[in-house]
Amino acid sequence: MKKIISLIKNNKLIFISIILYTIAFFVKPEIFFKGLEMTKGFLIEMIEVMPPILIISSLITVWVPSEVIMKHFGKESGIKGKFLSIFTGAISAGPIYAAFPVAQALFLKGASIANLVIIISSWAVVKVVMFMVESSFLGLSFALTRYALTIPAILIMGYVMEKLVKREDILEEIENTEIIYNTPKEVLNDLPNMNCGACGYANCKLFAEGVIRGEVSIDDCVIRAKARKTA
Amino acid sequence: MNTVVLILIAAIFLIWSIFKSKEKTKESLILSKNLLVKTFVEIIGVMALVGLVLAILPPELIKQLLGNSNEFLSTVYGAVIGALTIIPAFIAFPLSKSLYQSGANLTAIAAFITTLTMVGFATMPIEIKYFGKKFTLHRLWISFVAAILIASGMAVIL
Repeated sequence: MKKIISLIKNNKLIFISIILYTIAFFVKPEIFFKGLEMTKGFLIEMIEVMPPILIISSLITVWVPSEVIMKHFGKESGIKGKFLSIFTGAISAGPIYAAFPVAQALFLKGASIANLVIIISSWAVVKVVMFMVESSFLGLSFALTRYALTIPAILIMGYVMEKLVKREDILEEIENTEIIYNTPKEVLNDLPNMNCGACGYANCKLFAEGVIRGEVSIDDCVIRAKARKTA
Repeated sequence: MNTVVLILIAAIFLIWSIFKSKEKTKESLILSKNLLVKTFVEIIGVMALVGLVLAILPPELIKQLLGNSNEFLSTVYGAVIGALTIIPAFIAFPLSKSLYQSGANLTAIAAFITTLTMVGFATMPIEIKYFGKKFTLHRLWISFVAAILIASGMAVIL
């Protein structure tokens, strides 16, 4: 029972939509099918974009040293860092949620809040291909004006956000969203499973059992901790 | 087109990584897998809900709201609708054009496109998972205000 509750808690949105779709299916089938059709369109976009995005974010996490990120995207990176952030967003593909993993990887490696916001926003708005589509549908002057106003707005947003949100606010909240584990298998799922032994246990399975017994916390996994916050 | 480039970049990096170190490549692939599980479940839920809302909302209603004779009001409507929905951009532009042709205000459309791409209340749960509540909420309202200002600026210029 406890397991079911935590399963529902961790996947709230899915459960809500399943319930709503079931209701729609019985009350108004045409809405059910139209909704499914819409969702299918989104899913196709996501399946194309997300796997390469996640691979790139993970490779950044594993390979790029924090010093490099800090130098180019950190607080001291100045105007150059701002432009690099806009550029990073502009050359990337995919909708805004695809920006989150990459931006998080850069942030954990030392990118500043301002640059984090700039990357996410320009990822969403500043796109060469989208600009061409926009100007072909709504006219060149419309697209040009919108871009000319949006880019400075993004820079200002980054500046304002830096005043409002501190680095620690984000780190604290990401750390606190810990899942409660019930079985060693659940812990094992979230471990790198490299059996490195750095935690003091012989392998990941024994470490997972230790977490369930309350002897250690999952954050004591050295590789996992390193991957989560290198900054 | 962009997607193909993206997949190519990921593939090139991955191959380079395999050559450099098998261990580190394995580490990053496990990391990607964990990220995928974490994101996938949440995104599917979000998308299913948005799909349902879009299926229920009649397009005529959107047209009416965006074509309101009060330009400021229609701009706010445009910003709100854009903030609440996620539609792939390549659908959003043709949609905007048809909205414009059927009488929507240009500023309302500018607000709609800008919030559609930049704000995203629908993706809030995902953003919170990655950056926490405080960052997400502040980013959303600031982007929303920025979108209204951008749209108003366009009303002045165009």
